Amino acid sequence: MENVIEIKDLTKKYKSLKAIDDLSFSVKKGEILGLLGPNGSGKSTTINCILSLLNFQNGSIKIFGKEMRPDAYDIKKSLGVVFQDVAVFDELTVYENIDYFCGLYIEDKTTREKYIEESLRLVGLKEFQKFYPKQLSGGLLRRLNIACGVSHKPKLIFLDEPTVAVDPQSRNNILDGIKTLRDQGATIVYTTHYMEEVELLCDRVIILDKGRILASGTCDELKSLAHIEEKVTVEGISLKKEALEKIEKLKNIEQVLYGNDTLVITYKKGKNNLVDFIEYLKEKKISYNKIYSERPTLNDVFLELTGKELRD
Amino acid sequence: MFKHNFNYTLKTLFRDKTLIFWTFAFPLILGTFFHMAFSNIEKSEQLDTINIAVVKNEKYNNSILLKQTIAVLSNKKNEEHLFNTKYVTEKQARKLLKDDKIAGYLIPGETPKVVVMTNGINQTIIKQVVEEIIIKEETIKKVTEAKIGKYLTEQTQEDLGNLSPWYATIYQNILKEWGDEFKIQDISDDHLSYTMIEFYTLIAMTCLYGGILGMVALNRNLANMSNKGKRVAVSPCSKLKLILSSTLAAYITQMIGLILLFLYTIFILKVDYGDNLSYIIFLTLAGCLAGLSLGLAIATIFKTSENTKTGIVISVTMLGCFLSGMMGITMKYIVDKNIPLINRLNPAAMITDGFYSLYYYNTLDRFTSNLISLFIFSGIMLTISIISLRRQSYDSI
Repeated sequence: MENVIEIKDLTKKYKSLKAIDDLSFSVKKGEILGLLGPNGSGKSTTINCILSLLNFQNGSIKIFGKEMRPDAYDIKKSLGVVFQDVAVFDELTVYENIDYFCGLYIEDKTTREKYIEESLRLVGLKEFQKFYPKQLSGGLLRRLNIACGVSHKPKLIFLDEPTVAVDPQSRNNILDGIKTLRDQGATIVYTTHYMEEVELLCDRVIILDKGRILASGTCDELKSLAHIEEKVTVEGISLKKEALEKIEKLKNIEQVLYGNDTLVITYKKGKNNLVDFIEYLKEKKISYNKIYSERPTLNDVFLELTGKELRD
Repeated sequence: MFKHNFNYTLKTLFRDKTLIFWTFAFPLILGTFFHMAFSNIEKSEQLDTINIAVVKNEKYNNSILLKQTIAVLSNKKNEEHLFNTKYVTEKQARKLLKDDKIAGYLIPGETPKVVVMTNGINQTIIKQVVEEIIIKEETIKKVTEAKIGKYLTEQTQEDLGNLSPWYATIYQNILKEWGDEFKIQDISDDHLSYTMIEFYTLIAMTCLYGGILGMVALNRNLANMSNKGKRVAVSPCSKLKLILSSTLAAYITQMIGLILLFLYTIFILKVDYGDNLSYIIFLTLAGCLAGLSLGLAIATIFKTSENTKTGIVISVTMLGCFLSGMMGITMKYIVDKNIPLINRLNPAAMITDGFYSLYYYNTLDRFTSNLISLFIFSGIMLTISIISLRRQSYDSI
């Protein structure tokens, strides 16, 4: 499949600090690429460099096969950007805001009107179109921010943490909207530190930290990098020291953590671990309230790779 | 795209309540305040005509400067003449003073003498006028002496009453030649008005407040200044077109603010700006350009928030207006006298002085000089802005 973005050896320094360190990756047409990393990992800087908003010291950036430059207007015509911070005019209504930003791309008024209607429906703001931004809640404002960035139907969309500090309803609306954009054929670069969103949306994920790629691949590929196979959590369980020591000696167990009547067992490998442990508890007549099993998450992968949580 | 950005910039500027206050409402409020405050002061400062008497003796007939000066200041054709003068004998003068018909009388002599019965502002004015005449007459005598040589000077100093006819001719010629300098002039036809100076500085302030509009209009197009700027910067629009259309919208908004100010002051406050309307418009356009370019330069030089930049524009403008006489006309004279360079660099002073020269002088020399200064100032500010704006991407945003 054709590459929409090709980045080679990208390096960006702020004085002596390397914000991006020799970064190389590509984005394929029609995919949603997730850039996952904690705050300060270089996600936004990477996007700003790709968009030619920031100078960089080394490397090359190609979009649609052409070198990206500040005056590459033919490339910019096909780009849509939703920045992390809301960028709308307080003096314009919802409709006017979308019209203004759409008008920077689409000159024909009739086409623009059609696109604005579609984007209003996409983000669920049709009934708020005459509202001013100050009259909108945080979540609705985020939706307007997205509409302003994608109303002109771009082929390549950059979404920089679009769901930060939004309510669950707006988050769901935003995520549904992004899926719709992908279904309409757009290629999307999506940065976030919410691993659930990445797992839900992204075809491929790049995990960044300190401006470097720690790992990349599909969600399943990344999870397979984790040394753990399964995590079993038992809530409302009361255990004595001897019982805990016996559990630690069971087959395939990597680690046992116990506290506040909650037991967390990490399995290194093996199958039917949950069933086996339920049988063990039954046999030993140990009571509990709730038991469940989890597969390793991207956070576990990140934890293993960096020694810190994604949201640190 | 140019039209699209221009229209929306106009819309956002006109809907920005803070901007509208500073560029439209504040000058009108300040103008109303000036009108209320200074017109009353001017009325209270208008002097009544002072009744005086001059003793018509032999010395009076020989004192050319004294005769001319008293005649000018007593000219009843001039509505605001200073003196009502009666030419009487010394005895009559004493009686008039005793009967309180005159504030004082003047006895011409080697050194003219003023006789008053009480002390007051009218008596002080009479004394000051006479002192002025004495000083100027001494100066003329010195010039005359220098002209005709030592011999004749010694001869004439013995008795000024017996001036030979040719000496008198030379004296007269010098008086004519230097007349404008020595004459005590009454300029009431073009009465110097504090209120007018205040209104000139008000216009200057409004022109320079256009800097806020320019700054805001520019900020919205700069990726390192606002989030909206980032969004605009990634669009396929030429930076030059965006900035030009935004700046033009800011300039037009500013002009509308000034038109409102002119209409309000002319038709509501009855301010008379004189007859040179075309020059006034030209100066206002140049003033607006200076204000706008100042705002653009501040927007590009200072890497700080929009509110801080607004504060800087307002501070620079108010300081400029203060130095050009907004809070008291004395300040303009103090600066002009002691540190003239400041007001040569101060756009508010250039605008104020341009209006002032248009109103008070028959020639356009000083007006043209101010106009050229404004264009040079605007050129420098725009050059600074363009150099800063040439960068299309940034080290940090």
